[in-house]
Amino acid sequence: MLMMPVLDLQFGERIVTLMAALVLVLQIAMVSQRWIVLHIRIFAVQSLFLAMIAATIAWYNHAPHIYIAAVLTLVVKVILVPILFERLVTRMEIHEEIEPIVNVPLSVLIAGGLTLVGYVVAESFYRPDAPGVGHNALAVAISLFLIGFFTMINRRKALTQVLALLSLENGLFLAAISLTYGMPLIVELGILFDVLVAAMVLGILVYRIRETFESMDVSRLRRLRG
Amino acid sequence: MIERLMENAAQFLLLLVLSPLVTGVIRTLKARLQTRRGPGILQPYRDLRKLFSKGIVIPETASWIFTATPWVVFFSTILAGLMIPMVAAEAPLGLFGGVLAVIYLLGLGRFFLALSGMDSGSSFGGLGSSREMTISALAEPAMMLAIFTVAIGAGSTGLTEIAGAAIGIAGAAIGQNWRFLAPSQMFAFAALSLVLIAETGRIPVDNPDTHLELTMIHEAMILEYSGPYLALLEWAASIKQLVLMTLLINCFWPFGLQPTWFGFGAVEGICWLLAKLLLLSCAIVLLETVNAKMRLFRVPEMLAVAFTLGSLALISTFLF
Amino acid sequence: MLLIALLLIPVATAAASYFARRRAVMEAVNLAGFGAVFVVALVLGARVLASSTVSLANGFFYADALSALVILLTASVALICASYSIGYLRDDQQSGELGDDVSGREQLAQLRMYYTLTPLFVFSMLFMAVANNLGVMWAAMEATTLASIFLVTFYGKITSLEAAWKYAMIGGVGLSMALFGTLVAYYAGHNLTGSAALSGLNWSVLAQHSAQLDKTSMRLAFVLILMGYGTKAGLAPMHTWKPDAYSEAPIPSAALLSSALLNCALYGLIRFYILTSGCLGAEYPSRLLLLFGLLSMGVSVPFVLVQKNYRRLLAYHTIDHAGIMATALGLGGALGSLGLTLHMTFHTIAKALLFLCAGNVYQHFKTDQFSEIKGSVIRAMPLTGVVFLMAMLAIIGMPPFSLFQSEFLILRAAFDGGHALTGVLFVVFSAGVFAGALLHVGGMILGPGSDAPAAAPRPWRNGSLLALASALVIIGFWVPAPLFELISRAARVVSGQ
Repeated sequence: MLMMPVLDLQFGERIVTLMAALVLVLQIAMVSQRWIVLHIRIFAVQSLFLAMIAATIAWYNHAPHIYIAAVLTLVVKVILVPILFERLVTRMEIHEEIEPIVNVPLSVLIAGGLTLVGYVVAESFYRPDAPGVGHNALAVAISLFLIGFFTMINRRKALTQVLALLSLENGLFLAAISLTYGMPLIVELGILFDVLVAAMVLGILVYRIRETFESMDVSRLRRLRG
Repeated sequence: MIERLMENAAQFLLLLVLSPLVTGVIRTLKARLQTRRGPGILQPYRDLRKLFSKGIVIPETASWIFTATPWVVFFSTILAGLMIPMVAAEAPLGLFGGVLAVIYLLGLGRFFLALSGMDSGSSFGGLGSSREMTISALAEPAMMLAIFTVAIGAGSTGLTEIAGAAIGIAGAAIGQNWRFLAPSQMFAFAALSLVLIAETGRIPVDNPDTHLELTMIHEAMILEYSGPYLALLEWAASIKQLVLMTLLINCFWPFGLQPTWFGFGAVEGICWLLAKLLLLSCAIVLLETVNAKMRLFRVPEMLAVAFTLGSLALISTFLF
Repeated sequence: MLLIALLLIPVATAAASYFARRRAVMEAVNLAGFGAVFVVALVLGARVLASSTVSLANGFFYADALSALVILLTASVALICASYSIGYLRDDQQSGELGDDVSGREQLAQLRMYYTLTPLFVFSMLFMAVANNLGVMWAAMEATTLASIFLVTFYGKITSLEAAWKYAMIGGVGLSMALFGTLVAYYAGHNLTGSAALSGLNWSVLAQHSAQLDKTSMRLAFVLILMGYGTKAGLAPMHTWKPDAYSEAPIPSAALLSSALLNCALYGLIRFYILTSGCLGAEYPSRLLLLFGLLSMGVSVPFVLVQKNYRRLLAYHTIDHAGIMATALGLGGALGSLGLTLHMTFHTIAKALLFLCAGNVYQHFKTDQFSEIKGSVIRAMPLTGVVFLMAMLAIIGMPPFSLFQSEFLILRAAFDGGHALTGVLFVVFSAGVFAGALLHVGGMILGPGSDAPAAAPRPWRNGSLLALASALVIIGFWVPAPLFELISRAARVVSGQ
């Protein structure tokens, strides 16, 4: 009896919309966060929800190749990358963030404004005649992209910038899933591999910055000018 | 007419009796979680009885505001509480404006409390008043936005309609129940929860168990009160807490709301209410135990998140 | 199999260098590997001339004249840089730049990192040129960033880290935008081929059906791609990572970054330009390209005029040329496209040569400020001085060097096509860069200067220098017929046949 609503497409759309909303809340939470370890964990949870959204869309649209993308996202972004970064943070013994360039309440409000922009952009993609699960998720995806970009400029600690970049890519993944039910598998593979290597490379870079500058504060990177 | 009066009386009694119990349960749960034994669930009742039998001390520099405030706060809170659907979907009192009236009645109480804090002339009172006003200035817009979201969904700001819309759907086919999982409701719930913490003065915003200068807001404003006045103010604070918790519960999870107060349904309604309050109390206690009190200048950050969530909630009713 | 060989050889080179134990082995493997790549690139060029496209694995790999040109250019620069880096890194090792531990293990580790990462870097650039799938193209581009980050931090100085961080972040954001653009382009075409089909992102398929792509999506896609791949190319306003990265990376890597990577980024832009102009007509993309191109040219002028550091000067110069090539792409048509491909070829040779000369100067004088060198180059290193001056004259467009021809073609395309303002701005900005570069570099090379000690003999470095210089001079007067044919075919690909 409970299976009936589960198979209903409208129910699936609701679930996806709900999870997309949660992803958005997590992104805003990342903007208001101060603790780097919490940043990493929020990123992990956000990626988990993304994998679940992908799996749901795969189920309702009978597109099995998206399952593979979901599993890959799970492995890379929920397990590997957060473990990598948490080990990095432990080694570097940095836990808190200094004040961002725009203070926290204002940056949360800006994040809300960017969400609105994301909605407006997504409207132009909305095709009422093309049915399918996931058009609401596109708005969230574009908002994730914009908010991640803003967080990158706003924050000063290198590791937080890297996490913002990764959440930006999360937004792109969500956009891919909702616009075109994912890209061809080999492309997804390539992209995820790139993300993993990028996380490793950037992690090493952050570590070296910390070693050299005694701090991850990128506003100290000011020697090269002109 | 007579039914109306009886409903009001019944809800009035429920408010009076239940609120110290809720406070007691929260304190005891917190104590147990911290491996203490705690003062017992009925301690607030004993406190109130003790306070009512004590004498009143009024500062020399106080004006009429000082003596009037406990009454104003108490009765405005009771009035606000009478407008909330607690057991039945139909609220006993239906003042013009619905949920807006609730918010403003609570605001009236807060206004007088802040004034009386400054009235006594002590520095602690002024400190508490300014902090309270800062927090409420940020929390109220968020609360309004969240409430408006729910009101838009129901088509009216009358709490009866809001709860009625909820219960109407709760009784319908299971597919439509998923309206509660709509993002706007989720955002509004999140925003309202954050506001609940701020308004009831819970950790991480304010510590209700302390009288240290750095850590008190509400306690600072009522520091000069004693005897029955103090009893009224403390009671009013617990009633306000109960009112806000019930608002949160019954706007978003209205399962168990009865159509009216009368009949055997009332008992079932009260049981559902108690169960939901217990659940919410556990959540509050967990939140209080896990977090430390935020420094005051960080509170605007949390409330900015609440505000953004509230605006997103409102916007997403149109967009999603 | 030719394409497979092209890709496998650099990977094998990297693997062999990684496991090598001695410096000489690494050097030899690198030189041999890049030599082989060069030969394969020549053969590929010949094959493409013969049969117009080479494709493999059901269209997954695809090489037409444009790809073959880019591959050839990349392979030649890589080969020259490989031979140059032998001498360059040996000098660094001797002077203690790579670390000064007694056992030499740290230095060997640094060398190993360089000799492993460089082939991987070249591999990803080659991959980008042969990939047909737009998403794989993107992944290859991201791989170039990842491979070159550690090349930028090679010397481990504070400034190197700063440069690498800027490069990583700006490049990362840019590439994310490019990924978004790729995604939107896929969306624009996905109702052509059905969902999840691999061919849905194949450039050759999309180019054939470009008129049927969704217009609004392609608009958005092009803007995103322009900003994304433009970041890697160094178009303003996304250019700020370039001066830092070029002044901090080791010279051969900087040469690769400025000539080969620039070509690859432009290659990506060109592919999307072809798709977009097929879908929306040429006006929309060309307007955007002209905007960014002229902006880049304009932005570089003040920085070239007031520059104090000759490596950063070369970086701003590269930004200028990226702007020139974007403008040429924007002008389009037969003339503009021919100007573009000619410019790509000549610029690659000249820019690589410039960097190699700058490397010689840097290693001898140990400083990158103009003020500290002040004219001693011609005395201390006559060969380098002459070649440097000649390359500088070539790259700013002095006749009879080849770049004069390509810039003249671009100007003709501008005035003929009715873009008079573009042409005028082009001339003005080029004049500014001309003046600044000549002033600074000329002042550095020629002039009284102080008595600097004569430089030690540098066989590898000077040999590479001479080889490239002679190529530059010869090409100024006579372009070999097959090469010219390849260039014009590539131009025809750009202008849509």
